[in-house]
Amino acid sequence: MRISTQGAYLNGLQAMQRLQEALDYTQRQISSGRRILNPSDDPIGSSRAIELREAISRLDQFDRNATIVNNRLSQEESALNSINNVMQRVRELALQANNATQSNESRGLIAIEMREHLENLVQLANQQDGNGSYLFAGNLEGTQPVARMGSSFTYNGDQGQRFIQIGEGRQVSDSDPGSSVFFQIRNGNGTFTALADPGNTGTGLIGAGSLVDPTVYDQDQYTVQFIDPNNYEVLDSLGGTVATASYQSGDTVAFRGIEFSLSGDPAAGDQFIVAPSRFQDIFSTIDNLATAVERTVIDDVSRVEMNNAINASLYDIDQALGNILDIRTQVGARLAATENQIDSNGAFKLTMQATLADIQDLDYAEAISRLSLESTTLEAAQQSFIRTQQLSLFNYF
Amino acid sequence: MPDLLNTSLTGMLAFQRALDLTGHNIANANTPGYSRQVAEFTARIGGGSGSTYVGGGTQISTIKRMYDALLVEQLRISATGQARFSALNSLAGRVDSLLADADTGLNTGLQNFFNTMQDVANDPAEIPTRQALLGEADSIAGRFRSLDQRLDQLENEVNERLTLAVDDINRIASQIADVNDKIAVAGVGARPNDLLDRRDALVLELSGLVSVSTTIQDDGALNVFIGSGQSLVLGTNVQRFGVRASEFDPTRVSVVYEGASGSTPLDTALSGGTLGGLLEFRSRVLDPSRQSLGQTAVAFVNQFNAQHSAGMDLRGNLGGDFFAIDPPRVLYSSNNAGSGTATAAVGDLGAFTGADYVLEFDGASYSLTRADNGQSIPLTGSGTAADPFLADGMSIEVGGAPAAGDRVMIRTGHNAAGTIESLISDPRSIALAAPTRAQSSFANIGDATISQAMVVDAEDPALLTPAVIEFTSATTYSINGAGSFAYVDGDPIVVNGSSVTINGVPAVGDQFTIEANYGASGDNSNALLLNNVQSNGVLDGGAISIGESYGQLVASVGGTAHQIQSGLAAQNVVYANAEEAVLSKSAVNLDEEAANLIRFQQAYQAAAQVVSVTKTLFDSLLAATSR
Repeated sequence: MRISTQGAYLNGLQAMQRLQEALDYTQRQISSGRRILNPSDDPIGSSRAIELREAISRLDQFDRNATIVNNRLSQEESALNSINNVMQRVRELALQANNATQSNESRGLIAIEMREHLENLVQLANQQDGNGSYLFAGNLEGTQPVARMGSSFTYNGDQGQRFIQIGEGRQVSDSDPGSSVFFQIRNGNGTFTALADPGNTGTGLIGAGSLVDPTVYDQDQYTVQFIDPNNYEVLDSLGGTVATASYQSGDTVAFRGIEFSLSGDPAAGDQFIVAPSRFQDIFSTIDNLATAVERTVIDDVSRVEMNNAINASLYDIDQALGNILDIRTQVGARLAATENQIDSNGAFKLTMQATLADIQDLDYAEAISRLSLESTTLEAAQQSFIRTQQLSLFNYF
Repeated sequence: MPDLLNTSLTGMLAFQRALDLTGHNIANANTPGYSRQVAEFTARIGGGSGSTYVGGGTQISTIKRMYDALLVEQLRISATGQARFSALNSLAGRVDSLLADADTGLNTGLQNFFNTMQDVANDPAEIPTRQALLGEADSIAGRFRSLDQRLDQLENEVNERLTLAVDDINRIASQIADVNDKIAVAGVGARPNDLLDRRDALVLELSGLVSVSTTIQDDGALNVFIGSGQSLVLGTNVQRFGVRASEFDPTRVSVVYEGASGSTPLDTALSGGTLGGLLEFRSRVLDPSRQSLGQTAVAFVNQFNAQHSAGMDLRGNLGGDFFAIDPPRVLYSSNNAGSGTATAAVGDLGAFTGADYVLEFDGASYSLTRADNGQSIPLTGSGTAADPFLADGMSIEVGGAPAAGDRVMIRTGHNAAGTIESLISDPRSIALAAPTRAQSSFANIGDATISQAMVVDAEDPALLTPAVIEFTSATTYSINGAGSFAYVDGDPIVVNGSSVTINGVPAVGDQFTIEANYGASGDNSNALLLNNVQSNGVLDGGAISIGESYGQLVASVGGTAHQIQSGLAAQNVVYANAEEAVLSKSAVNLDEEAANLIRFQQAYQAAAQVVSVTKTLFDSLLAATSR
């Protein structure tokens, strides 16, 4: 093929320019550490890299969120632990007070300690976090949740529960409202309460009740009424007779799927009331207990009255303790879930970072050997260009 | 004897011409477009007859221009392609880096915004965090605006470059006509080689601006056509091309053919070259990018606003719009005769495209087509305020008195991103809480529980009015003491625009309250829902989230840019090959010319020697006869 002088010159020049471009590209790759310099170099890879960076950033955010949830749940856990300890102490005191060896005076002292614990409990329920937000006010975190008016306690928070996102499609609650921790606790055994009527003149001592057969249980108020000291009848709320039976001390009273024990000597006309459990707050439970402990015992009747009252409060305290245990279990489960999520977020992030590195990071070994190959080629091209350009017939004129 | 002198003289003259020609070739060794010229010698017819015939020396019959029309044609075609890809590549590459760059693109901004949204959800009552969210909101609005601005600048640049390219085309056309004139003057038989080279160079330059086709007239003049056969140069006549404001948008330049019957827009007919590349960039990269960015912007703002309006702020007010964005822009054709008006709004995001549409009135009814592909879009409704036209996620209202043939363009996404603004300046006005809450009464005996309230209709006028659901039996309930509704465990109950579900077995008299969520500074329910705006499928029938929508834009522009880049690389090679082929055929080789110099010099010297021999012969004759 015929070679023109211009063509030979252009060819050499273009070849050098192409090599210089390639060299510059490799050089920029090496100085930035990136395989993809412009998105158009690898459109699929770069859009994948964008997605990955976004996902990694989201995971970082989830980690921050999870840390916050962790802190808040630990704080709640420690508050619940204190509350549990107070309640346990109160329970011990109740058992102490229930003991026949206690005098009116010693019980008075016990009641004073109980009321101190009550104060303490109100404070624990009204505690704030570092930002001044109430821990147990639900979403009304600027409102003091528990207010006391004498012996009545009201909840001023709401029943809302806040959720925090700790993973893709994974939300975890960072708190429990005071309503579920302190207020919405079923009294009695959780299904019904069995209480001695305050006007009883006998010494009938009522024991813990239990639900034996839920299928025949009918939620209603029942009255166990003694016709004479050895016979009683059970009436429903409309006055209909549910059962009649004879009585001996220590008997189990059973009807409509429920039962409870009864001991002592009830007098004719004495009543024991079975009613569906209602919500009763922890504070009222302790207040009731202290009031029961403060009763003055003058005879067997008033002692049994006190025992019945303390026992009833003990059942309520056990319900409250059970409730706190439930919530602590949930908090613990949430803490564990958060930890798990942090771990799995971390593992996921590691995989994604590795993928991202595969996509966008430069293989230095390959790039540097490419650089040296390219620079050698360019040098050769330059030298051969000079050589061939020097060749001219005119040199021999 | 005189014949010998004459013969040698013809040789000397011819070789002198050949030496001149070699000098000319050497002088033009670096002239672009120059075709080397070669002298063709033929023997002169001499005298004598029969067996004693002797030739009469030599002559240069022609000076041949070393030229191959086919190769030049290929060079033109490849120059057109190369210039097209080169213009496309430089512009598309800029859009590509603009959109995908972490500093200018949307991804980082969106991610920061939603990350801060999560921080706010973690601590909804914290004013400093809320303040930070407002900062991020300003910054994401700014990102959208600056992206749109940069694309707008590119559009202006395209306008300017189109104007320049059209000027160049007109200038070159005049020059070609000029050369045509000179060639015609030289006459049909003449071979004005350098003029032909000059004209070929002009046509090659023109090919770099736009795709052309040429024909040669009988008188040697070259006719040049562009577009779909519009003549640019006919002999010595030049037909001018121009730029005009486009039919709908006065800020957009459209290339027109200034024919006898007025100007005809040629935007879609022109291809190839810088001009074609610019037009292609505008229709293939820039317009779709702006529309897609606008689509993302509208989807982001409308969705975020809707969710924000369904929340309650720290003051107990319902959240309103968080961002502002302009409605679709309506542009009236400059050819409209009537006074019809139209307004458009975005409705269903699932069908919303961000594209440009043309609404045309035919005298009786309206029809809608997509501007980019001419696809006809069916309209439902009657176009009134009460019953607007609905199509592709838009609602259109028409009014006034349009004339038949009047057209309006509706740009749904084109510059939407440039109009985003953050509306909220008070951190307390961010609506992070749900507007209503559901509470169960502490006096309840049954074990039924109520879920959190979910707003299903934020515009219900009674949204914030308290409502009490009271169970009248285990299977029926009343609302605010009225009615008797069947209770199904777990079924949603909708009251005053809020939806709740009750689970479990309620007892008679159990109450649940749905009330305004005043004071719930710790509630982040709406913040969590606002966060979902990032990943909610909303566009394209609910399949594409705003993040994905932007990702698709980046990928599509990146893909196009990549394709253009490979196209350019290929065209560069094709062009280099074509150029090499032309150069190989036509360009000067200095060694060849040096050899020619030697050859012709030697021949000249030989011819001169013949003169000397003639003289010697003549002298011998004189000497022989002078005695």
